[in-house]
Amino acid sequence: MLRLAVSTVRDRWALFVGAFLTVACGVALVQSSLQVLMATGEPKVPPGVTGARAEEIREGYVGAATLLGMTVLLAGFLAVFIVASTFAFTVAQRRADLALLRTLGAGRGHLLLLLLGEGVLLGLAGSAAGVLLGVPAAWTQTRLLTGLDMLPGSFAAPWSFRLVGVSFAVGAGVAVLGVAGASVRAMRVRPMEALRGTGGAERVMTAGRWCAGLGLGGCAVALAASARPGDLLGALLIALGVSVLGAVAVSRLSPLLVPLAGRALGLAMRAATLGDLAQANLRDGVRRSASTAAPLIALVALAVGLAGMLGSQARATGTDLVRLTAGDLVVASTGADAARIAAVPGVADASTRLTVDMAVRVEQRGPAGTRRATYHAGIVAVDGPAYRRTHRVAPRSGSLDLLRGRTIAVGAGLAAEGVRVRRPATAVIGGRTVRLRVVAAMPERLENGAERFLVPLSLVPAGLAARAPAETVVRVAPGARAADVAARLRPLGTVRTVRGWADARVAAQARGNNAIMAVLLGLSGGYAALAVVNAMLIAGAERRAEFAVARLTGLARRQVVAAALAEAAAVTAIGLLLGGAVAAVALAPLATVPGTLAVPWTLIGLLAAGAFAVTAATSVASTLAATREPPIRAAAAR
Amino acid sequence: MRNATEFHGVSKEYGRGEARVRVLDGVDLALPAGAWTAVMGPSGSGKSTLLHCAAGLEPVTSGRVLLDGEVITGVPEGVLTGLRRRRVGFVFQDFNLIGSLTAEQNVALAAKLAGARVPRAAVRAALGEVGLGDRLRHRPRELSGGQRQRVALARAMVTRPAVLFADEPTGALDSASARTVLDLLRGLVDGGQSVVMVTHDPGAAARADAVVFLRDGRVADRLVRPAAAQVAARLVELEEVAC
Ligand SMILES: Nc1ncnc2c1ncn2[C@@H]1O[C@H](COP(=O)(O)OP(=O)(O)OP(=O)(O)O)[C@@H](O)[C@H]1O
Ligand SMILES: [Mg+2]
Repeated sequence: MLRLAVSTVRDRWALFVGAFLTVACGVALVQSSLQVLMATGEPKVPPGVTGARAEEIREGYVGAATLLGMTVLLAGFLAVFIVASTFAFTVAQRRADLALLRTLGAGRGHLLLLLLGEGVLLGLAGSAAGVLLGVPAAWTQTRLLTGLDMLPGSFAAPWSFRLVGVSFAVGAGVAVLGVAGASVRAMRVRPMEALRGTGGAERVMTAGRWCAGLGLGGCAVALAASARPGDLLGALLIALGVSVLGAVAVSRLSPLLVPLAGRALGLAMRAATLGDLAQANLRDGVRRSASTAAPLIALVALAVGLAGMLGSQARATGTDLVRLTAGDLVVASTGADAARIAAVPGVADASTRLTVDMAVRVEQRGPAGTRRATYHAGIVAVDGPAYRRTHRVAPRSGSLDLLRGRTIAVGAGLAAEGVRVRRPATAVIGGRTVRLRVVAAMPERLENGAERFLVPLSLVPAGLAARAPAETVVRVAPGARAADVAARLRPLGTVRTVRGWADARVAAQARGNNAIMAVLLGLSGGYAALAVVNAMLIAGAERRAEFAVARLTGLARRQVVAAALAEAAAVTAIGLLLGGAVAAVALAPLATVPGTLAVPWTLIGLLAAGAFAVTAATSVASTLAATREPPIRAAAAR
Repeated sequence: MRNATEFHGVSKEYGRGEARVRVLDGVDLALPAGAWTAVMGPSGSGKSTLLHCAAGLEPVTSGRVLLDGEVITGVPEGVLTGLRRRRVGFVFQDFNLIGSLTAEQNVALAAKLAGARVPRAAVRAALGEVGLGDRLRHRPRELSGGQRQRVALARAMVTRPAVLFADEPTGALDSASARTVLDLLRGLVDGGQSVVMVTHDPGAAARADAVVFLRDGRVADRLVRPAAAQVAARLVELEEVAC
């Protein structure tokens, strides 16, 4: 059986190229991610950096580890997915051969062995390539992560020979997992199919597809229906859930939905001479069009749904910040310059927040009992009463008016972290250690990087305060024009409107998220492209006879290419539309919360352009390749 | 002496309800071992179905089928698989060979599945005997229809099945190629091989030891060592009655 597996792979290598590349890329990514991940296990903080910088470095390591972990999972999952669809395809196209093997006395176990053998071969070959590819991949990944400031420039991920073993295990595992479904289907091939020549007459909508599609689709619809108007958190969760569930459900149901959508699209296609042919092909080649559209559906639904969700969350956070801030302008400056803002003509009120380099140690209740934690970042010094006047937010307990002398308030950033307010906090500020009484606790906020602690300005030594970066919320006096006041404030620092400041602040906080999103999107996009190209190439190679018959019927080669191109474009459009529909359902509840919904139009445009470019290029190339032979030879060949 | 194939009151139906068709209708038949039997009849009379049931590829609706003296109806799939591996050989009009294997590998694979340690030389000798000694490394798509048929025969020569089933083995061949295939079959039968062959060609049927005629799923007649003209005449009668 192994010999047969070898010769099948050698003979039909074109069918396996996509799967091979997938395994190679998957193994390379998993290997490089693991290599970098192993090195991020213990953050190496260079000696002599400030506490805040050390905390930043540690947080960066955690972020990098999260990103790498997600990359490993995603790469593994997508690789299994593509290998599975490749083998499902090849089994469907080799039914006659498999049935013949059965008539020769091959048992079910033999067929299982044959396909697993092919899978293992593919896995080993792909792993070998992946191990080599993984070396430059790890280098690129390190560069990327240091470029994103998630890891310090001194970071290095050492190579380990243990990785080779892991990579081969991953490659073989991915291939075998991917082949498993197809082998089970191959086992069900009955010997009679060889004799009646009914090979390929297998149903595309299998029971598994129905179950997964309707089950997950039902969950998604129920989830979307449970939305309550105006509930932001609910809407965000729904967007996440519906994107994921809907993406899987619709791509599972694609053999059903794609031809349906094709019929709807048909009216538009009738106009062209070859529209009829393209449309008939679309209906006829259900397996082909569904396999091409499914990765697009999943990609668009997930990418647009998640990007829309994150964008909307950012927009809502900005809106929230604006709502909470009772001011007209925000000035970013040094502490020294901030102290002069209140004296500028036209300024009715000014409230300064200094970001202070200090450490705070508190007791926190967690699931594992009370523990002590030290924070360096997100500690700001404010003037309690001024802060209260410019921020429309009341403390959950205590009062900001009490923020005087040796006191501290727990900020929104730690509101949900169980900080014990009855216990004093210990602060190290300018080399001095002081005990602070907790006098207030702020409520939770939408904002991701809200301040963790508020301390009174008087606690900060003058020299330190003068150097610290400051943000001052300014209320313009009645009668004064904001623009004039802004012009007068400009020599002191960067002046922005509250909306502009809020958007910039949210954007800065979302930077890490966006980087992760971009990397994952790029990865999924690459895999989706691979899956689409793979499906089209496999289908194209098998369509030789069909194209040849079309040419014998009188179509020019150019027309055959055009018809295939029209079909590919239609399938792409359908994939994009179905994926878009899922994303629309996912994001709909966000539209009920004012000032929230952010539709990622740029991303949608890029995805559409990329999808059309990839499918058009693949279609033309594969059709040209499949029509190179004179038609009479190709029509006769089976 | 054992019979190669025995049918006892075998019926075969396809479909259910309205669409039900009875393709074999109470067939009783015994085909002797070591002989060559041709099966003839109008199109749609159930010849292929008879062959498939005899080889255990298709379950029967009622009745008993014996192959090489063993009951093969109502036995588990695993038993049937073993049976196909060791006792049954096939030559079809098409779909004979695995596309990705060379002629030599196709023959060797069947032998390996049968569990026999067939030396390479034997595989080559068999292919040589069918006149394909110089085509060992060709893949099926690089062979003509007649050559593919002969590879299937070489496969049967190597595995030495108890019964060789052939469904219109000469259907798509010109008369010269057809004669080669029939000569090879004759050689096998003279060496003791049992052969059951479906054919539409009276000339081919006349090479067999006996001819069984089917009509509407029933055995209509049986001739022993007939001449081609006799077969043709009987066939015409059957087709006229059928119309
Ligand atoms: N899977 C099936 N389902 C339903 N009917 C079938 C099936 N297979 C065969 N039949 C029917 O059984 C009848 C006999 O078919 P069979 O293939 O045995 O005929 P045949 O004698 O071999 O004909 P031919 O000479 O044309 O090959 C036909 O009427 C055919 O339509
Ligand atoms: Mg037939």
